[in-house]
Amino acid sequence: MATFKKDEKVKSLGHVVVTGGSGFLGHHIVSLLSTRGACTKITALDLRTDANPVDGVQYETGDITNYDAMLSLFQTLKPDAVIHTASPHAMNNKNHDLFYNVNVNGTKTLVRASQEAGVKAFVYTSSASVIHDTVSDLVNADETYPLIMGDDQPEYYTTTKAQAELHVLASNRTASHPNFLTAAVRPSGMFGEGDVQLLPPGLSAYYRGQTKFQLGNNENLFDFTEITNVAHAHHLALAALLASHDRDASGLARPLDHEKVDGEAFFITNDSPVYFFDFARMVWAAAGDQTQPSQVWAISKDIGLLIATLMEWIFWIFRLGKPNLTRQQVKYTCMTRYYNIDKAKKRLGYRPVVGLDEGIRRGVKDALYRGVVVGQPMDLKGKKEQ
Amino acid sequence: MVSAKSALYYATHVNELRAIIQWTTWHNPVHERNEAKECETLKECFRLLNLTSRSFAAVIKELHPELLVPVCLFYLALRGLDTIEDDMTIDIEVKEPLLRQFDVHLEDESWTFDGNGPNEKDRELLVKFDVVAKEFNKVKETYRAIIKDITKRMGNGMADYAKNQDHNANGVKTIKEYELYCHYVAGLVGEGCTRLFVEAKLANPALLNRPELMESMGQFLQQTNIIRDIREDHEDRRYFWPKEVWSKYVTEFGDLFLPENKQKALNCQSEMILMALKRADECLFYMAGVKEQSVFNFVAIPQSMAIATLELCFQNYDMFDRNIKITKGTACSLMMESTQNLQLVCDVFRRYARKIHRKNSPRDPHFLEISIACGKIERFIETIFPTQTAKTLSAGSSATSTAVAGRPPLSEAEAEKRKEDEEAKWDVIYIMVAVFGTLGLISILMIGAAWFFGARFDLAFGALKNGNFLPPKTPQEVSSVASVVSSKYEGAVHSEL
Repeated sequence: MATFKKDEKVKSLGHVVVTGGSGFLGHHIVSLLSTRGACTKITALDLRTDANPVDGVQYETGDITNYDAMLSLFQTLKPDAVIHTASPHAMNNKNHDLFYNVNVNGTKTLVRASQEAGVKAFVYTSSASVIHDTVSDLVNADETYPLIMGDDQPEYYTTTKAQAELHVLASNRTASHPNFLTAAVRPSGMFGEGDVQLLPPGLSAYYRGQTKFQLGNNENLFDFTEITNVAHAHHLALAALLASHDRDASGLARPLDHEKVDGEAFFITNDSPVYFFDFARMVWAAAGDQTQPSQVWAISKDIGLLIATLMEWIFWIFRLGKPNLTRQQVKYTCMTRYYNIDKAKKRLGYRPVVGLDEGIRRGVKDALYRGVVVGQPMDLKGKKEQ
Repeated sequence: MVSAKSALYYATHVNELRAIIQWTTWHNPVHERNEAKECETLKECFRLLNLTSRSFAAVIKELHPELLVPVCLFYLALRGLDTIEDDMTIDIEVKEPLLRQFDVHLEDESWTFDGNGPNEKDRELLVKFDVVAKEFNKVKETYRAIIKDITKRMGNGMADYAKNQDHNANGVKTIKEYELYCHYVAGLVGEGCTRLFVEAKLANPALLNRPELMESMGQFLQQTNIIRDIREDHEDRRYFWPKEVWSKYVTEFGDLFLPENKQKALNCQSEMILMALKRADECLFYMAGVKEQSVFNFVAIPQSMAIATLELCFQNYDMFDRNIKITKGTACSLMMESTQNLQLVCDVFRRYARKIHRKNSPRDPHFLEISIACGKIERFIETIFPTQTAKTLSAGSSATSTAVAGRPPLSEAEAEKRKEDEEAKWDVIYIMVAVFGTLGLISILMIGAAWFFGARFDLAFGALKNGNFLPPKTPQEVSSVASVVSSKYEGAVHSEL
């Protein structure tokens, strides 16, 4: 983060509201903006208050699906900009109504309240999965790929993220609110400090002794993104929207089509796709794993699928719950899925600020410190240095 | 002659032998030099080229006629510089002005030099250097200017190093110095060649606007050689691996070769290889700018050899014990693949990147960075030769048939294909059901028949529970099993009796 210093003369973003400001990504955005001194004021909005709040940030509790509450809150706060990260956990929940209500209705409510309260810029956290059917390979995919939703999208969660993104981007410069600018950030495979979805389950596999197995030939590249970089991208997108807003206000010409940020979606990654199992092995190595490549037993994708299918049947017949290996897991671990982020690089000036290597080390240390890894030695919990 | 050892090697590596035979019998040079039209001095120059270069002579001689002579003379000029720089028997007072004024000697048709030590293998080149000057003066003015400029800059760079006592005694210190050294001995060659190609209109002039690309071409080759030659250079007391790197692993450079430091040496090696590997994508980018086949071959062959050499060295401790090099068979198959088109060269790079990736170990401190570097090569190849774009998503993937609001409905062919796929899927399912159903039915019939005729599955399960998985072999075993079982299932056995 050497590019931003507190005392540098950078134009302030004004008053920024971060929804989901106590969540994984929201917390990182709040803390990054606060460290950089990028705003005159930051308000974090969430259903619950943050377990470790950031100094100088105002915390508000509220339900984003409640239009009246949001409108009155925004009319009181009078924010310049909104960063909308709030979303239910995708993995632990199969509640379709909840997904639709929070992701689609909640986003529509926030957009409407923002427009009516005179917010200038709105950045929405979408997902890199919105162009993915959960099965096909994505090779160097860019923003020209079509959204996949409805019947073609097996993950209902992703459908709701895509619908919300469409709504946000369609609300950019509307006839009724021509000065309301929006953009969407689509991060891929977020991990880092405070993470519950990627590093902790990965580390559990190490403590269950599964590091000697490999599914597929490990020639599939995958994009992972350190959370600080995602926060950084939100900062850049917001700054770009506000800059466009100021240009409009001072009567300058609008940005050209190939440089505009408003109304656009951006893939965000660490810009370093790695072989899927190399990422996992790095995570395991950071926790102390000593497995050598020669000790690894590689199971081909087809055999893996066969085993997973059998296990799913056996578990289903005997009502044993969810097996250790599912077909979806096999498909994911053998899939190529990486993105071309040239658009974010060119239009937002985005470059990752934390490398994968450093991010993994920090994230693993943090996950063990928090004690959120199933099967971890509990003496590591709360221990600062290993 | 073929040694017994290599005969044995190729007997067990038939593919490599095949590559050698194919290369030697099937390879047709893009251009052939016309010896009949050459004058005596030019013939002599080519003789000197054969004498001084083993690997480059062949590709130079196949170059486009426009560049054949200039590149040959460029090579001889640089080789001449190198012969002076390398020779430790020449006093620095003599050496420095020789290096700095070598570009002048290059034009002087009377200049020759016989001050090299008797053991210097390329001594003859300088003894007969007047023939080079005679030919050089016949070359087009524009080419001459380029060759002179590079020779002058390289001579000055070499003189600076030769004069630098500290460098001679302690070797290269920082990574920056290391890259600067590689710039003088290889990066400049890359620049010179590129300017010659562009001048001859055989390469895209845009290459000159991206100097980092031609720099990477030279750096990639030179760094690879420096990595591979560590043992030989160490024996000659020349130290090119930067101290900034090796001092992270050992306190004295020589310690890298101690058996107890094997792991440290390998970690240091992987850091050096990583540094070179990061240049690979720019090399591919550069090659995309070459327009003419013979020039492409000229630049691509050494690059393919270099990435294969990096792969050979990676995690290979033999490199610290002896000189290693890729086999002749591998070299021939690489030459075949590097003399056709960029896509095949990209395939070579991807293949070797994956080989490196496969040998990469999480215990290595640069594990993830190496993985990223290999991924970067693959991703770069995707940008030149995409396997997938929004318009050509792989057929059969459901992404082709997504119905987002506003998208056109499926074409008839697509719908047809989808229907066929669907039918094929159900066919498979029906066959599976039929097969497993038949097997299940037969099993049930057989087990049922056995049960009907009085098979005692309860006894069998009981024996299995007690851990008797193999059928009893001796009568004693039978009776002991029977007694254990019968004591357990007394009621059942009694009723049977």
